[in-house]
Amino acid sequence: MHDTEARIQCVATTKAGTRCKHNAIPGEDYCHIHRPITADRTATGSKRSSVDGESGTKDLTDGELREQLMEELDSLITRVQAISPDYRPSAYASDGTNGSTDEETEGVDPDLQNRILSRLRGSINEDLLDAETWKGLWYMVNYTVEYQSDIFKRRLSGDYDTDEWGLDWEFVEAVRPFLDFLYNVYWRIETTGIEHIPDYDRALLVSNHSGQLPWDGAMIMTAILNEHPAQRLARNLYANWFPTLPFISSALVKMGQALATVENGTRLLNQDELVGVFPEGYKGVGKLYKDRYKLARFGRGGFVKMAINTQAPIIPVSVVGAEETYVTVAKSSILARLTGFPYFPISLRFPWLGLMGAIPLPSKWYIDFGEPIATDSYNSEDTKDLALVSELTDHIRNIIQEMINNRLKIRRSVFR
Amino acid sequence: MADKRVILVTGVAGYWGSRVAKQLSLEKDLHIVGIDKTEPPDGIENLDFIQADIRSRLLTDLLEAEKVDTVFHLHFLEQAGPSEQAFDINVMGTTNLFAACAKAGVSKIIFRSSTSVYGARPDNSAFLTEDSPLRGSRHYGYIRDLLEIEAFVNGFRRQSPETKVVVLRFANIVGPTADSPMIRFLNLHKPIVLLGFDPLLQLIQEDDVVAALVYSLKSEIAGIYNIAADGIVPLSKALRLVRKRPIRIFHPFAYKGFELLGSVHGRPLAYMPIELDYLRYSWIGDLRKMQEDLGFQPLYLADETLREFAGQKSSEDEDEQESNLYDDERLHDLIERRRRAKELASNGDPRE
Repeated sequence: MHDTEARIQCVATTKAGTRCKHNAIPGEDYCHIHRPITADRTATGSKRSSVDGESGTKDLTDGELREQLMEELDSLITRVQAISPDYRPSAYASDGTNGSTDEETEGVDPDLQNRILSRLRGSINEDLLDAETWKGLWYMVNYTVEYQSDIFKRRLSGDYDTDEWGLDWEFVEAVRPFLDFLYNVYWRIETTGIEHIPDYDRALLVSNHSGQLPWDGAMIMTAILNEHPAQRLARNLYANWFPTLPFISSALVKMGQALATVENGTRLLNQDELVGVFPEGYKGVGKLYKDRYKLARFGRGGFVKMAINTQAPIIPVSVVGAEETYVTVAKSSILARLTGFPYFPISLRFPWLGLMGAIPLPSKWYIDFGEPIATDSYNSEDTKDLALVSELTDHIRNIIQEMINNRLKIRRSVFR
Repeated sequence: MADKRVILVTGVAGYWGSRVAKQLSLEKDLHIVGIDKTEPPDGIENLDFIQADIRSRLLTDLLEAEKVDTVFHLHFLEQAGPSEQAFDINVMGTTNLFAACAKAGVSKIIFRSSTSVYGARPDNSAFLTEDSPLRGSRHYGYIRDLLEIEAFVNGFRRQSPETKVVVLRFANIVGPTADSPMIRFLNLHKPIVLLGFDPLLQLIQEDDVVAALVYSLKSEIAGIYNIAADGIVPLSKALRLVRKRPIRIFHPFAYKGFELLGSVHGRPLAYMPIELDYLRYSWIGDLRKMQEDLGFQPLYLADETLREFAGQKSSEDEDEQESNLYDDERLHDLIERRRRAKELASNGDPRE
């Protein structure tokens, strides 16, 4: 092992009350997610609220605002120093007026230092800050940059951890800004019923599937990661076409997703994970535009057997909006055979615009999580009763279809 | 000597045969007979060497005369390119040996196989249990031969139930002194990988391979077991840990390139110790049977095997700059391992 500290588990408890599963940042007790949640947060929080209570932020004079800023910076620096006592930032010297950089700074590119500081000066009222504050700011900027480059260096030497499924939390954190952009800005996703997802127990999410590419799976994952208090990572089970694709295959594995097999789903559920399935499969993703929001056949009910065998509750999920990301008018079986795709969509833009046609349209999305359906009244013997399994499968399919229909009724347009 | 349990090791001149024989010779109550076509290396005490071929028709007589109780079948040529000679020794030799064992009343046969028999397939489950179908690639000699042997052993276990068979399917073997396809791959100056693919690997350290083989002698266990170290390593991480910069090739070009090279040279894949599919998809064995039924626990973790490998290699090179690669980490690993070994020993593991 590279570093004893690197393997220490984060000591924080998640909002759900379970123990955080991440590794702690080297030299710290907390992981990258829980790092800011230290004792100081409550202190700063209460301080801020008391200031707000006295005068309100509007009425603060420049001097008061500056003092407040200094205080916050001080607490930040104390925190950084507590975390890494050996850390010494490159010197920041002021010429007394308004913080010019020290030419003799060691180890840091003075150009970079200048650029960062001038950017900062441009964005904050110049008169507000004195040399001391700049010094503090510089300290924090330096710390952040070095922390990031430490991660980068460490990863390049192969020193990072994955779980037994290949989940790499640092990779998830790295792609999250992109997923968040899609979630918040591009598709402006609204999520309801997030409270139906348990904080730490197992559950099987069953969702409709649409939109040619599995963006819906990624967005369900992002929704739960962002909106759920326990910040759980849903493990979606994907079709066996994706492992054959470069980049997509490795990205899926690094994000903790797994191939859709009964063994994988059962094992994940037995590990108390949150598992997402799309029983429609290719029939769902490859739907034509004219068939949108009509659920396809739900396979042979493998997911019901999986849920019963592991006693996991089934949470129906409806995704509305993903159908409109691509307008598929036809499918070509000849091209599918030639390219080796499981289906080959002919949409308004694909393949005519090439890869540009693969960019989804910015429709407005709604993700609704329904009431959990308990499966503990059944036992594993019941999975042999094919009539029961198919009845349950249809039941869940109807619930999801109803959820979709309800949402479609409320929805005003595709883009709003 | 008559009441000692007699153990026969095939391929005793080879790496695995000699290492297992050496380990076994430390046991006081065992009599070790080794057979091979060539002389074994020096340094194995109390080894009763008999020069014999496993394809010999007189094998039954030999086993009966020596009153052999258990056979370690470790004579296996691990060649990438398929060759008739290797097939003859590997498959025909094994069939002959197993038949002779059944006739001579040998009570147990222990055989070293590999998890690569499961095959690297896109529709592989993340964890393959021992009863998963064997869908390994038949392009490479050693996998093809292993598949043949596994199929034969499967039938043999039904036909001769009185002879116990232990098949240990080892993950990618990595270590400073052994030779395996993965070691050959990691030793390449510029390993070739497929652009955009990063399969997960399971590893096992060479010392743990020997330990597992010897362990299966001691316990009264028969059957098939996946054996691998704890932890899973993505290929990219493995290459970074051993400080290699791979060449990344877009996979259609890589497949086409090797096809063309093969048609020119006749020996298709001699350039690559590992087939391309095995650099594209994961084939991870489920270790629950090893942990629960067999009760065996490899001492090395997956990361450690690679650091140990890279560290030993770099100290062999005596490159001033690289010679202290992982020195601290390896010592730290060693301390941790010794602590784990003590824990295992206190829990009744027969190993020290």
